[in-house]
Amino acid sequence: MIAFTDIVGMDLAKQALMLLAVDSELGGVVIPSAVGSGKSTLARAFADILPEGTPFVELPLNVTEDRLIGGVDLEATLASGVRVVQHGVLSKAHGGVLYVDSLSLLDSSAVSHIMDAISRGEVLVEREGLSEVHPAKFMLVGTYDPTDGEVRMGLLDRIGIIVPFTANNDYRARKKIVSTVLGERDPEDTRDELKMLSGIIQAAKEQLHHVSITKEQMQALVQTALSLGVEGNRADIFTVRAALASAALAQRTDVEEEDMKLAIKLVLIPRATRMPEREQEAEDLPPQEEPPPDEEPEAEDEEAPADTPDADAEEEQEEKPDMLEELMMDAIETELPDNILNISLASKKKAKSGSRGEALNNKRGRFVRAQPGEMRSGKVALIPTLISAAPWQETRKNDKKMAGRPKTALIITKDDVKIKRFRDKSGTLFIFMVDASGSMALNRMRQAKGAVASLLQNAYVHRDQVALISFRGKQAQVLLPPSQSVDRAKRELDVLPTGGGTPLASALFLGWETAKQARTKGITQIMFVMITDGRGNMGLQAAYDPNAEKASKEQIEQEVESLSLSIQADGIAAIVIDTQMNYLSRGEAPKLAQKLGGRYFYLPNAKADQIVEAALSF
Amino acid sequence: MLQGLKVTTKRSIMTQTEQAGKKPAAKKPVAKKTVAAKAKAAPTVTAAPAPAPKPAGKPAGKKKSGLAFPFTAIVGQEEMKLSLILNIIDPRIGGVLVMGHRGTGKSTTVRALAEVLPLIDRVQGDTYNRTVEEFVEGEELKKGQKALDPASLKIEKIPVPVVDLPLGATEDRVCGTIDIEQALTSGVKAFEPGLLAQANRGFLYIDEVNLLDDHLVDVLLDVAASGKNVVEREGISIRHPARFVLVGSGNPEEGELRPQLLDRFGLHARIITILDVAKRVDIVKRRREFDEDPDAFMKKYNREQLKLQKKIQTAKDLLPQVTMDDTVLTDIARLCMNLGIDGHRGELTITRTAHAHAAFLGQTVVTMKHVKDIAGLCLRHRLRKDPLETLDAGEKIDRELAKVLGEAEAV
Repeated sequence: MIAFTDIVGMDLAKQALMLLAVDSELGGVVIPSAVGSGKSTLARAFADILPEGTPFVELPLNVTEDRLIGGVDLEATLASGVRVVQHGVLSKAHGGVLYVDSLSLLDSSAVSHIMDAISRGEVLVEREGLSEVHPAKFMLVGTYDPTDGEVRMGLLDRIGIIVPFTANNDYRARKKIVSTVLGERDPEDTRDELKMLSGIIQAAKEQLHHVSITKEQMQALVQTALSLGVEGNRADIFTVRAALASAALAQRTDVEEEDMKLAIKLVLIPRATRMPEREQEAEDLPPQEEPPPDEEPEAEDEEAPADTPDADAEEEQEEKPDMLEELMMDAIETELPDNILNISLASKKKAKSGSRGEALNNKRGRFVRAQPGEMRSGKVALIPTLISAAPWQETRKNDKKMAGRPKTALIITKDDVKIKRFRDKSGTLFIFMVDASGSMALNRMRQAKGAVASLLQNAYVHRDQVALISFRGKQAQVLLPPSQSVDRAKRELDVLPTGGGTPLASALFLGWETAKQARTKGITQIMFVMITDGRGNMGLQAAYDPNAEKASKEQIEQEVESLSLSIQADGIAAIVIDTQMNYLSRGEAPKLAQKLGGRYFYLPNAKADQIVEAALSF
Repeated sequence: MLQGLKVTTKRSIMTQTEQAGKKPAAKKPVAKKTVAAKAKAAPTVTAAPAPAPKPAGKPAGKKKSGLAFPFTAIVGQEEMKLSLILNIIDPRIGGVLVMGHRGTGKSTTVRALAEVLPLIDRVQGDTYNRTVEEFVEGEELKKGQKALDPASLKIEKIPVPVVDLPLGATEDRVCGTIDIEQALTSGVKAFEPGLLAQANRGFLYIDEVNLLDDHLVDVLLDVAASGKNVVEREGISIRHPARFVLVGSGNPEEGELRPQLLDRFGLHARIITILDVAKRVDIVKRRREFDEDPDAFMKKYNREQLKLQKKIQTAKDLLPQVTMDDTVLTDIARLCMNLGIDGHRGELTITRTAHAHAAFLGQTVVTMKHVKDIAGLCLRHRLRKDPLETLDAGEKIDRELAKVLGEAEAV
């Protein structure tokens, strides 16, 4: 076990954890980082700087609903003949830390339960005849590798600190990590350092009650959140808390600039949905522009007096020096990574074509819970059946109606039978790949938009999901990771730029990656819906290396070909919808369909409904 | 909003309810033993290192361990607040679906509701929260006995119940099931009422409603349509009234709501992030103040809370006297027709909601002004969805409203 103080590098993550140690109301820390960066080592070492005896519970990824929330303890129930309650993992973490490694791979129902527990501070157990409330107030520490997929926004929103993603680890720092692993450090040094750090944190906790923040500072933080397009009020609250904790760590009584900068870095920037406007623009930005395009105008009307800062507030803002805000903006500009708007941090991985032909995961989703049912209507869940039969044994043995039965150890009646319920992932993931290049782009976009939206309308019933990839210029881009949300798909499509080259290979590659991620989450049926003329003119290399030489036509063709074969070998279905006018078409799209082993549809001016029909009929 | 509530010992409404229900009122069939009585006999044991050892027991009772943020201290989000209040005034409106941005206080607001709810009558200790008539009818049916004299029943007042349905709830706890403890200790098959029974004549709240498991949605749709919960199991057959105001909240980005369920909600409130700095600073301040000292904070808002509670009760009393002119009804019908809304639930909801709205404003005549205020809430989720439509629901409703109003004025 490596001590907290021995870990080299990841300073920001360390700072984040220290803030959390000072103020547990920050809710938690999420650390996205590449494989092997030592993030999980750091997270586990977090226990070092917490008071002794603080619970530290690690959540296994394959946790069942039972174990997560709590339920009946089978062993004890059988032994005692009365129902014995077992607390779930969430409530075991009460007062301490819940640690999740690979947070992005966590099953979505588990994520929902964690979200619920965080927002209540307790777990409501309403299952298997139990009705209890278990306290479950914990700090969530999560680590994940963004190439595995993203963490659900709803969960991230409830966690105070999200450490900005760092892909490239400093080589020297890593070398030091290795040397620490090899045990070059004097254990006595480690012990003393830890003791000191724990003392500092303890002192900061006491100091925290004496730290104050001015109204102007709060306004500056909120203003920053606004200009970064941060959703909701939680982030505001977390930023203020983080700034206070930072000041407390420095044993100050007032919040200073550096505290606010740190808070912005750790709380607001990771939640940014857009680049801040530059000063004057920012100032006379009409509030109407702020809400996403699909908001209710009526709601706005009602909020109108609220949205236009009232005269008082405005005066106040003008009175006070703009210094603070200026400063905040500077902090942001220096910290914003280039791809801030590209929320998906994922998929910058190199191609590997060796994994083809792996057996498909044919489980029908993951076993989540048992529910009453007919013996033959599904797989019998043995243990839950036994649990429900166990307490009745005494009664049934004395029941006259049961007298004629053979003397079995257990008397099980049909009411006890529980059927396994699987997380239903039998739906299909449709990955839309929309060619946004060239002159047809606008038209195609409209069709894709309509098709995606209508597919989503049916999505709930069919349990289908939709992902959206656009390709133009040098590389393809995931606009929408697999989702059932109409709103998001629409919004993404609304703002999509068009024009430029056709990086077809990059799109195929990204689609394939998305498909593979979905597979790890139990979605087995995947279909590419490609809306393109099939004429790729950008090499794969160009997507990741700006200085790459322009790929030759043959090269591009070969890339597309080998990717197509891999995709086909992975059992991914595909349809190619050609929207090019006939006389311009040179048959590239049918060829692409053939390579993918999919079907080709020629639908110039295709209507959204036709695309949907084509996709569903396949 | 931050939900980090401190654990305190304040009793929740439900607890008071169950306390009051210790003594069974009339001669009761076993299946109706009160929860409080049962708790004594219940042999449930808490194993595992429980942070706070729990007394055995069941239910209904000890929900909630923290103080809820006061309703009147919630900044902004008027649309949601109004929807909830109108549903208290007239539960027949059919509930509210609150959808919107993350972290905007959706669940905080709903959970705050409990404190401003009025009282209702029920037979003392009745775990199904039935009205006296329902109680008499239900008991006679069950026992085959006659002449249960309503006058002999003890009546108690309880606050309108608010029941939280967590996503992980299993069907048996939602609908109710055989009480195993009873069976073990006294060898009697007794029915243990579920969340649907607790929610009768009250509110049933589902956070992240768009993530609710399909089979639970089926149960809810079934019960919401019939107003009754029927359980047949282990030789017991129970049927009890389960009429509740369904309140759901969620973020549309997490997933879509099943159309049938969407249709069940009377009103649909939309929540967006507040963009006013001063207001947001105010939210942060209030939240911090509450987290520091919840009791003091509650005290500060006590008067406003009571005032609102009274205003709601007054509106409830006024509601039967509220009238609406036929011309207003015609306009409502025309509005729904122009918007192409299927069925008549749209008109019905607007009518009821407009009545409640008028009553809340202390007025006894419904005008188009009232209708205008609430039409969006009532219709937004009933418009037919057109994937290529760029105009959003609210705009469309406003446009048609303006037309109808224009016509109305011209006439």
